[in-house]
Amino acid sequence: MWSIETDQTFPLSSVKPFDGLRAYRERCLAETKKALTAATRRRERSPITGSPLLPYGTLEGLDYLRCPDTGSIFLAELPSSAEWARLLSAVSRYRQSRETFHAEIAQTRHENVHHPKLEWIRSTLRMQQLERPAVLEVVTPPSDVTKLLTASGVFRDVMTVNEMDLVMQGPPAAHERYGAAMLFESLDRVDDPAALLQAVVDRLVPNGLIFITSLVCSGFDVAVLGLRNMYLYPPDRTNCFSLHGLERLLAAVGLMLLEVSTPGVLDLEIVDTHLRHDPTVVVSAFERQLMTADAETREAFQTFLQQHRMSSFSRMVGRKRA
Amino acid sequence: MKCLIFGYGYMGKIRYQALRNQPEVRFVNVVDPYVDPSTAELNGILIPANAEIPWEEFDAVLVCTPNNVTAELCVEGLNCCGRVFCEKPPGRSWEDFCRIAEAAERRPGHTLVFGFNHRLHPSVQAAKALIGEGGLGDVLYVKGTYGKSGGLRYRESWRSQPSVAGGGILLDQGIHMLDLFQLFLGRLTAVDAVLARSFWDCGLEDNAFVLLRSERGVPAFLHSSATLWKHTFRLEIGCRNGYLTASGLLSQTGSYGREQLIIGKRQFEDESLALGNPREEIIHFDRDESWDKEIQEFIAAIKEGRPAKHGTLEEARHVMELVRDIYAVSERSLSGRSL
Repeated sequence: MWSIETDQTFPLSSVKPFDGLRAYRERCLAETKKALTAATRRRERSPITGSPLLPYGTLEGLDYLRCPDTGSIFLAELPSSAEWARLLSAVSRYRQSRETFHAEIAQTRHENVHHPKLEWIRSTLRMQQLERPAVLEVVTPPSDVTKLLTASGVFRDVMTVNEMDLVMQGPPAAHERYGAAMLFESLDRVDDPAALLQAVVDRLVPNGLIFITSLVCSGFDVAVLGLRNMYLYPPDRTNCFSLHGLERLLAAVGLMLLEVSTPGVLDLEIVDTHLRHDPTVVVSAFERQLMTADAETREAFQTFLQQHRMSSFSRMVGRKRA
Repeated sequence: MKCLIFGYGYMGKIRYQALRNQPEVRFVNVVDPYVDPSTAELNGILIPANAEIPWEEFDAVLVCTPNNVTAELCVEGLNCCGRVFCEKPPGRSWEDFCRIAEAAERRPGHTLVFGFNHRLHPSVQAAKALIGEGGLGDVLYVKGTYGKSGGLRYRESWRSQPSVAGGGILLDQGIHMLDLFQLFLGRLTAVDAVLARSFWDCGLEDNAFVLLRSERGVPAFLHSSATLWKHTFRLEIGCRNGYLTASGLLSQTGSYGREQLIIGKRQFEDESLALGNPREEIIHFDRDESWDKEIQEFIAAIKEGRPAKHGTLEEARHVMELVRDIYAVSERSLSGRSL
């Protein structure tokens, strides 16, 4: 197994600006609350270990629960899967509209988010000697990256599927076999992440690769800020796994982990931004000292987080066992 | 499958464990005259050194002995069993190697694999995938440093006895780096070499500085040392579009540091970025499957009746030729300088 550290740097404003995020987050929370006015079900057990979930906290009136074995956190109440699918589609359409910050920073997101992801996949395929596989792109359409994937020439074929449909479709047809699959933050937002992962693995050929990115609660900024973290909200972060929890989820569906990395570059800036925007946020003296340290110290600490898998941006590569 | 290991020292133990990890291997016996027969872990598997080897019982032989008996046991293994895994180096000298190669020639359908496991280390495999069409382009140069500190008992070790070891640090450890150079560059020739007996005073080189060139003219430089007080493995590969630095080695003791591969991309086309300080990515590895992969391939080659994909006789020949030439070049340049 390996992990990756990068010295790529970019400011928070170039990928998810704090001010722009607030309006988007409010809309997401409002849409979620609306979806939850329909009949709901309460999650009782951890999707990773099956243990009873414990109370964790409340985010804008919405309960989150905690897996006692892994520390992963989950939104407590969910509507029906059909209603959840509708919610995810509505939010995705909104994200793609001109009303959100995403449109304003499309170019910098391409440079700092989408392009590095493609390079990551390209390098991994090379290292695994997997040449131009057909890839399953698992998203809530429309996707930000389908065009990029298709134009890259890295894949023989790109099949984009709706993550909620995939779970509801049942077993795959014989022709639905892919050499690779990618789930960029899909596991963070679907109502049944274990089922989604299984559905994807069922569609991989033996030795096929799965690429996953996710926000993890074991990472620095989420660990420090908890539910006060403005980047944690449903439906985009309905589930926030710990790194260990995510590893266990992948192992449970028979994936062999090749890479487990947290190459995040923004943990300290996220905490710092919260402190500047909200003086009521309380952090420890250690964290306060870190936030006021010089650039070199902060950079070294962010590097440490990457090296030891403690940043909140995680990515994993798993291989389906032959 | 039943296997026999000659030599139960550091490497013999590693090979024993790797064999035990293979489902095809039912039983492993060990021969080692220096091992106490009452050793609990070897109860029932140690064949007394003076006993006759029941060759017909064994499907494969692994030679993990000091260098002075490597050739003899490989030849015997080839003659009597036909399936041999030989720990590096393949003998003390070019002559030793030739004896093994000739025995292999006389045994059609043989399986002969040499233990050059560094090729299968994750950082090296990743580097191999990334050069050339992997994105970094053709290799411009290679530079390797591989060294250890010796240690308290180094002088007394068989590795420090010329008649047993046959060569110093170059043959013992530098040979791995030479094998890696050839993995990346193809066949090499020795341009110049300075071999020094700097510290250990045991009649063998404890430092080797070697300049090499590939058939396409790509230069390579090796520093192999038994006086690197900090254990070091570092392989730098400069390419047209970037560079790679593999360093650290996943080993049993961890003394070479965390195994990692630095990947840098040439960046001078974009002058808005700092010139000469390109963005780097570092892959940290934490699983070394090289021992298992090597033995897996040996077993698979036997089962499928095909040549092994790595650790081949040809690869061993090339690296032993190179070692022979380096010693010769070093002697020549020493005489030249004396004149």
